[in-house]
Amino acid sequence: MDMPHRFFSFGRIAAITLNTLTELTRQKAFYVLLIFALLLIGSSIFMARLTFQQEFQILKDVSLGAMSIFTSLLAIVATARLIPKDVEDCTVYTILAKPVPRFEYVLGKLAGVLLLLAISTLVMSAMFLVVLYTREQAMLHQTLSQMSAAPREQVDDALRAVRSSALNINIFPGVAIIYLKACLLAALTLFVSMFATTNIFTIVVMVFIYFIGHLQAIAREYWLQEHSAGWMARLFLVLVALIFPDLQTFNLVDDIVAGAAIPLGLFAKTAGLGIFYTAIYGLLAAFVFSGKEL
Amino acid sequence: MIDAAVAVSGLTKVFPVPFHRQPIVAVRGLDLRVQAGEVYGLLGPNGSGKSTTLKIILGLVSPTRGHTEIFGHDSRLVESREAVGFLPENPYFYKYLTGEETLRFFGRLCGLSGARLKKRIDELLELVGLTNARDRRLGTYSKGMLQRIGLAQALINEPKLVLLDEPTAGVDPAGSREIRNLIVDLKRSGITVLLSSHLLAQVQEICDRVAILANGVLVREGQLAELIAIENQTEFVVANASSHLVEEIESLIGRSNAQLIERRRSTTTLERLFLDATKNHEARNK
Ligand SMILES: Nc1ncnc2c1ncn2[C@@H]1O[C@H](COP(=O)(O)OP(=O)(O)O)[C@@H](O)[C@H]1O
Ligand SMILES: [Mg+2]
Repeated sequence: MDMPHRFFSFGRIAAITLNTLTELTRQKAFYVLLIFALLLIGSSIFMARLTFQQEFQILKDVSLGAMSIFTSLLAIVATARLIPKDVEDCTVYTILAKPVPRFEYVLGKLAGVLLLLAISTLVMSAMFLVVLYTREQAMLHQTLSQMSAAPREQVDDALRAVRSSALNINIFPGVAIIYLKACLLAALTLFVSMFATTNIFTIVVMVFIYFIGHLQAIAREYWLQEHSAGWMARLFLVLVALIFPDLQTFNLVDDIVAGAAIPLGLFAKTAGLGIFYTAIYGLLAAFVFSGKEL
Repeated sequence: MIDAAVAVSGLTKVFPVPFHRQPIVAVRGLDLRVQAGEVYGLLGPNGSGKSTTLKIILGLVSPTRGHTEIFGHDSRLVESREAVGFLPENPYFYKYLTGEETLRFFGRLCGLSGARLKKRIDELLELVGLTNARDRRLGTYSKGMLQRIGLAQALINEPKLVLLDEPTAGVDPAGSREIRNLIVDLKRSGITVLLSSHLLAQVQEICDRVAILANGVLVREGQLAELIAIENQTEFVVANASSHLVEEIESLIGRSNAQLIERRRSTTTLERLFLDATKNHEARNK
């Protein structure tokens, strides 16, 4: 019976992760948020139709915007209660009385949220792609029937133009970045919740960070214009960037809406930043929790 | 030397109170040793530091001073909890899980899986009498049922030591009786039990040794039988004694140096009366 204790066990983390996913998906709030997002994406089918380029731009703009906001919101709302609720209800005692290291508990919880976000992102993307595909097919038909008299090459050109502005591969890196931004927010929320006594506190702080995070790039440029960039100033900016991650960096929707591909280098850099921030905040949360008096 | 199941030495726990200069001293210089195989009762009024002591032994709360060990492993190390089961006070588990899912979750945390885990879950549900409620969410369980699923959860990894914090508090007499019978069974199968309680009559019959805490200080400790024995008194319980026999015994006592202190009709306990009276009207949710 006596097995040597394993310092790190995927089995234990997976148990906590799946339990967290069960907890979150057995709450109504999740479905309300998700259905709301799906409705918003679906409704863009009925948007005003001007030219097909404009239609697809609006469609992508609305859908990706909805995905970005809803995954961010879900990340914050779902994570804020996660650990404080366990501590309040003393369920955490029963879990930690088992041979479960505290950092495994925190990482398992975080992984559960990331899994939930991944599922939501996939569901929303599926809806988005269906809408986009439906509109693309309709538009192709329309173009064909309008240009029935035109020469063959002209028709081909027109169809190609429709296709390239509708469903194309450029969308996927954009969706990946939206997901990573939500992961970052979830990990940061988990970290903030370690110091919070109420959920409202965590959510308010996160909304604050969300807005500062989006504005800080502008603020930084403005600030650097006004002040000379000495090392003190730079250090200050690095610290600010650690507490308030530059969320505007993750906003690559504009490129995609315009139909342009995200350059590979930019994608890799942004994705790397998202993973880096998520890991740092996750580890910080685990570190704080390990030393915390329950 | 064989390691004690639980060793507590010089344990002190101080909780600072925000905005107060005077902190709360929950436990003060406590020394305890629980030997393997015994049922040990940690007794004391509310707020005397029982739960705090158990939490420190489990490494859930860090001591201000002193040291605790489980089978020779420092409580601060995760491996000290390998062979331990814990039933917290007012157990509260995840309401959205069913009884079976709850046991599966805690089993996985202990490294169990597959057929072995499934078998263990079936055994434990049977043991605590929740087989019929296995697919119900805990949100619908009664207090007694929660206590029993909590006990099953504590036993999932076949521990050598179980810590039970107020296992019978808030449970009806029949439930409390079942839990006490279970504790006796645990002891018979060689499992060490450390329990806390303020319900003295209930633990009196199951504990081998007790420690009494008051305000975080150990005021009495020892073998229960020795602590409560009255050295110079003897009791008889006689059935079908004729009034003649009783008179003769009394006169025999009168002629000796002994004093008759009390003579009364035997009574059953209220508990036994209650259990008998309600047994035939059982409509308990099992
Ligand atoms: N987390 C805590 N913070 C502050 N005080 C606490 C905390 N936990 C327990 N106490 C105090 O410590 C004392 C002992 O509590 P506890 O161990 O729960 O007693 P018991 O289990 O014997 O009823 C009580 O006065 C209680 O208020
Ligand atoms: Mg208590």
